[in-house]
Amino acid sequence: MPPKEPLRIGVYLRDRGGTLSRWCDLDVAARTFAKSKQIAQWEVREDWLNPEGQAAIQDAIQSGRVNRLLFVGRFTASEDEDIRGLAASAGLNPHLVDFCVPEEQGIRGGDDARDLNTKRVIALFAMALARARLLQPLEPVELPAVDAALVVGGGMAGLNAAMVLAQTGKQVYLVEKSATLGGRVAQLHRYYPRMCDPRCGLEFLVRRLRDSARAEVLTLATLEELRGSPGDYHAVVVQRPRFVSEARCTACGECLRICPATVPSSNGEGERKAIHPTGSLSVGQAFIVEREHCPPGCRLCEPACPYAAINLDQTPAHHSLKVGALIVATGWDPYPLDQVEEYGYGRLPGVVSNLEMEKLLALRRFARGNGHGRTGGGPLSVGFIQCAGSRDQRHLSYCSGVCCSVTLKQILALKEQAPDARCVVFYMDIRASGTDELLYQRVQNLTDVIFVKSNPATIRPEDGTGRLRVRVEDTLSGKEVALDFDLLVLAGGLIPSAGTLEVSDRLGLPREELGFLESHLQCQPWESQRTGIYTCGTCRGPMNVSQSVESANSAVIQSLRLLGSTVQVQPPYPVLDRTKCDKCKRCTEECPFAAYAFDEQGFPVPDLAKCRQCGICQGSCPMVVLSLGNHTARQLSAQVEALSERAPVKGQPLMVALLCENDAAHAAVGAARLGLDPPPNAFFLTVPCAGAINNATIADALSCGIDGVLVGGCRDGQCHYVRGNELVRKRSSDLAEKLRKMRMDEARIRFEAIEVNDARRYRDLLHEYVAELTRLGPNPFRV
Amino acid sequence: MPPRVDKKLCDSCKAQQEPLCEQICPGDLMTLGQDGKAYCRSARDCWDCMSCTKACPVGAIETRVPYQIGYHVAKLIPLMGTDTITWTCIDLQGNVERFRYRNRGEAEAF
Repeated sequence: MPPKEPLRIGVYLRDRGGTLSRWCDLDVAARTFAKSKQIAQWEVREDWLNPEGQAAIQDAIQSGRVNRLLFVGRFTASEDEDIRGLAASAGLNPHLVDFCVPEEQGIRGGDDARDLNTKRVIALFAMALARARLLQPLEPVELPAVDAALVVGGGMAGLNAAMVLAQTGKQVYLVEKSATLGGRVAQLHRYYPRMCDPRCGLEFLVRRLRDSARAEVLTLATLEELRGSPGDYHAVVVQRPRFVSEARCTACGECLRICPATVPSSNGEGERKAIHPTGSLSVGQAFIVEREHCPPGCRLCEPACPYAAINLDQTPAHHSLKVGALIVATGWDPYPLDQVEEYGYGRLPGVVSNLEMEKLLALRRFARGNGHGRTGGGPLSVGFIQCAGSRDQRHLSYCSGVCCSVTLKQILALKEQAPDARCVVFYMDIRASGTDELLYQRVQNLTDVIFVKSNPATIRPEDGTGRLRVRVEDTLSGKEVALDFDLLVLAGGLIPSAGTLEVSDRLGLPREELGFLESHLQCQPWESQRTGIYTCGTCRGPMNVSQSVESANSAVIQSLRLLGSTVQVQPPYPVLDRTKCDKCKRCTEECPFAAYAFDEQGFPVPDLAKCRQCGICQGSCPMVVLSLGNHTARQLSAQVEALSERAPVKGQPLMVALLCENDAAHAAVGAARLGLDPPPNAFFLTVPCAGAINNATIADALSCGIDGVLVGGCRDGQCHYVRGNELVRKRSSDLAEKLRKMRMDEARIRFEAIEVNDARRYRDLLHEYVAELTRLGPNPFRV
Repeated sequence: MPPRVDKKLCDSCKAQQEPLCEQICPGDLMTLGQDGKAYCRSARDCWDCMSCTKACPVGAIETRVPYQIGYHVAKLIPLMGTDTITWTCIDLQGNVERFRYRNRGEAEAF
């Protein structure tokens, strides 16, 4: 091993307005560290960012006087960046620059606190130097990338995503399971609030894609396999045969006359022959044969085609695609309403779902002369039952958010066709939120539309009239009412589609508790919990068309970083030392983003393109061989050991808090800024995620005499990295159990969930913990 | 005396084929049983090196001190740090002594 270059640390203190030197005696501090051979320079300046300061820094680096920089004082985030940039331009790796902020530790205040502050700042400097000694020159990594993307699902969200991608100049492959595009929105009669025909928007999208040289649409296709990394995926798409040549078919329809097989209507699609036109929302005009519905051995259509376009022996096609990112837009399915037995769906004629109602409206079944469902004379009577199978412990516990607005829209459309129709809406709450409230008011003002606040109790066919009799208790008046209807529309909810569940299983995408694809809804709703795989539309949760379109656009914008010639990964990222790795697999298991895979020798390798840089792997490693650049377990251990030798106040418990940068650390800094002083012997250190704290660091802290270790993470469900807080809580409770066996107090390790605004609570917590540690007495390890 | 595994704490090292105790045992004595928890296959062959006790990430293993050295009460418990190991010795009378050492060997790059 080549001899390491000796450390030459430059310690630069920022004494803006003389405050730092007023708060603590910097001369005493300087003298304390004067003997350290590793400190090559110690200088105090009013400001380091003015031209003289900057020149001094550059000179120190370029002359070789220093090879590590430690800045002391308060710097804003942009000043921090400026300094690192300055160091880089002078030839020093920007990651060899570190910052120490005495103010954050509560080292501030008047003359009577000066002695104590001086002792505290000395302890803090010792910690900062311990960390600075172990800084590594980190470099960004460039990974290969492809500027093509794959969109899975050809509905509203998928089509939008594909179109926007093509517009940005990227190659896009759109993979759709069925023969036509447009998904569920194509099955709608109108969409609210403008009451436009969805086919207008959808045809526009399909035409754009058809005309784009950069978009390739593969219908009858599914994603079978995905290998590789974000930026550099290899996708295998299998396309089912349509049995009809797209080049030769002219859609003349001769085959239709011969075909003996009929496919019954289902799931929103109408009745059709086994060979049939694909529909206008498709690429090309060719027909398609649904071979599974053909009578066994039947081949009548083949010779009947005048253009010899039919080939019933066509085999599936395999497409091998190189893409940089995936956008999943696999949509929703309607909740199976036959499960809501009391409503009689599937059992009683005249009970339809809201999706089926769209079809009836689209076919203009209610217009004069068509007379759908009207039994006997008089105006059409239609009932709408809201929350059918939703907000119900027996079915869907959640609200799908759109069904109330859908019902209102359907009433408007119905009234257009049958102005004298009578509508009754049975509801628990009308959830037409936002501007949809105006839709609600419009419908309320229509004649012959009433709203009854109730859940229907029974639905029975009336023998004489053929209508359906609904018995309800109107909860507002308390009266029991019986109403007869020609048609009942169940406003059912949205569940993740079968396609969504399939893709989730195939690609290993976590689902949240309702079954939709999980993402961090506040910070990055567009990305699944697997980096590089984005989600949009209803596969992520119930939403209306407008939200679906917006989600598609945001998924595309976010995916662009992977669609170039390379992907840049900035430090920090985890590095594995193989000499001690025992391949125990804990890092692979605990990584919330499945960023680890095994190489041929069985060692775990992090995929840097998938890594979200939380450090949870580092925290999980029993051998401490994983290191997240410049946030290592060894740095933390060195810091706590340095602290243990320099307790500011003798006779009081010495305490260190390890806080996560997302939440808990903000509470600590907030407390300091509010002037809420911590106990004198308490300091905090930060980690990217509480899950990055390794038990070995806590063991080091306790074994070198620190009286108590407070681990500060997020509340359950709030961890930015899914479950870092739960993991560290489990690990620290295992360690506490060991402490108990060692006849030490378990209370010396404490886990607390601390939120960003918990400044006051954090300060109180520290004082309370120190009081407890005082009661327990000093750590048995104290020399 | 053979190591005893606390079944509640043992998580089978995330159900990897070779858990850490199995990998580290120089006598090839530790392995996963039918219940998925670690156990020592041959008590008489264990020579109490305590490698398994040190390696267990959840602290589920206890190596019982031979009776000649300390009776039921006696315990020897290692606590692993990043480059330190701390031993807690509890003797027959229940007296506690602790010893802290730096691990020997080259520090890794970080």
